[in-house]
Amino acid sequence: MRTRAVVLGGVVGLLLASVPMQAHHAFSAEFDINAPIKLQGTLAKWEMINPHSWFHVDVKNPDGTTVTWMIEGGSPNQLIKVGVTKTSLKIGTELVIEGYQAKDRTNKAVGRNLTFTDGRRVMLGGSAGQAATPDPGGR
Amino acid sequence: MNRRLFSTVRLKPDTTSMMAIGVVVAVGWLAAFPVAGQAPVPRAANRNTAKPYVAPRTPDGQPDLQGFWTNATYTPLERPKGVTKEFFSPEEAIEVMKKAALEENEQTEPGTVADVHYDFTQFGLDRSQGAMAVNLRTSLIVDPTDGRLPPLSEEGRRRAAERAAARKTRGGPHDTVQNEPLGSRCILMDRNGPPALAGAYNNDYQIMQAAGYVMILTEMLHDARIIPLDGRPQLPPNVRQWTGSSRGRWEGQTLVIETTNLTDKFAFQGASENMRLTERFTRTADDTMRYQFTVEDPSTWTRPWSAEVPWKKTIGPIFEHACHEGNYGLYNTLSGARAEEKRAAEEAAKKGSLK
Repeated sequence: MRTRAVVLGGVVGLLLASVPMQAHHAFSAEFDINAPIKLQGTLAKWEMINPHSWFHVDVKNPDGTTVTWMIEGGSPNQLIKVGVTKTSLKIGTELVIEGYQAKDRTNKAVGRNLTFTDGRRVMLGGSAGQAATPDPGGR
Repeated sequence: MNRRLFSTVRLKPDTTSMMAIGVVVAVGWLAAFPVAGQAPVPRAANRNTAKPYVAPRTPDGQPDLQGFWTNATYTPLERPKGVTKEFFSPEEAIEVMKKAALEENEQTEPGTVADVHYDFTQFGLDRSQGAMAVNLRTSLIVDPTDGRLPPLSEEGRRRAAERAAARKTRGGPHDTVQNEPLGSRCILMDRNGPPALAGAYNNDYQIMQAAGYVMILTEMLHDARIIPLDGRPQLPPNVRQWTGSSRGRWEGQTLVIETTNLTDKFAFQGASENMRLTERFTRTADDTMRYQFTVEDPSTWTRPWSAEVPWKKTIGPIFEHACHEGNYGLYNTLSGARAEEKRAAEEAAKKGSLK
């Protein structure tokens, strides 16, 4: 997790109320705040589609069986614009996902944090460190 | 370290622009915005600038508005309470943008409703990670001059009450697919309008012009408005469409689009289907366009009202927002609601059997 951003002072009296995120849908209606999850698995498929991308991740159970989880991520549009495409994140990559499970309790979750096993964040972001390799072909 | 993955829009050094790169650059905005040259002047006074910008022409002689644009903004539609002036100084405007960008980048607290989300920042969706015009206005609404929506007319108040009552009879928000918001159903979002107002992300548009037509593609949720410019009448009044019936014309440098034939299912800001919309697109620089609109709807508001927001050139192409195809969220939301009902019923039955 990143540290909280620095709070600016000075012109507080003039500052606008922050504009709420108007997302495509209400996430707390789809995913369960009371069902946080942490998974580690192998990327099997990345559906880079609208309105939200979906990462299919094979997670090994302690008994050796494998379960495929579907992890919801952000709309791909901005990623493509900045050069991250479907080929930037290789199938077979080991990922760690923290998020919240779907309310219907199937193997679906929202990917609050997506990191590589060494803790690096997968996509972009202000403190992303190394991210998925940009693909100039996707511009 | 921040890593720059962005294809940067080329900006003229004297324009009020930004292409900010995440948190680190957000903090450095103050130095990055050469806004001092832009005086906080109302529309009429803009004409005083030394040499009005003249847009290039299309092969058939129209002012050329073509390309990829964004109306992303941190400026709210209505002026926040406690702000009394119409314009910020450039320094104040930058402080406001910096604060908004930092708030957008902040991590939410685990275990809170706000945290049930993928990380916007990681997916490049924070507004500060894309192109955005600097807007010195304290609200998008420019008329009335208090920057607020005018009062509802009597009919408007009555209809608002009727709509609220009707909503209550339809059950809970996730009882049926029809109760879900239009955006969740991939039908229409605020970016569509008309009028076009920015949401949190994907606020991109593509304008194309052909002889006699202009096409405005809205990235989210995929709508292409194809607008005739040949002076033909609007559709017959009994034909109602989500985005209405639009007809355009040129007034000098400005593309004027009038829209009627809307439906009350959309109800922009609570409007009626009688709403009449006039949009004006005027290029003010190579990379900036002024977007103005006026809403006339006496069956909702006591007077017309107008808003204005600058659009900025951005990069393309726009990835098709084929919303229905990947809209697993709608299914998951409805199945989640059914599962919760089932769990609640089982819980209630268990309690009942213990009595």
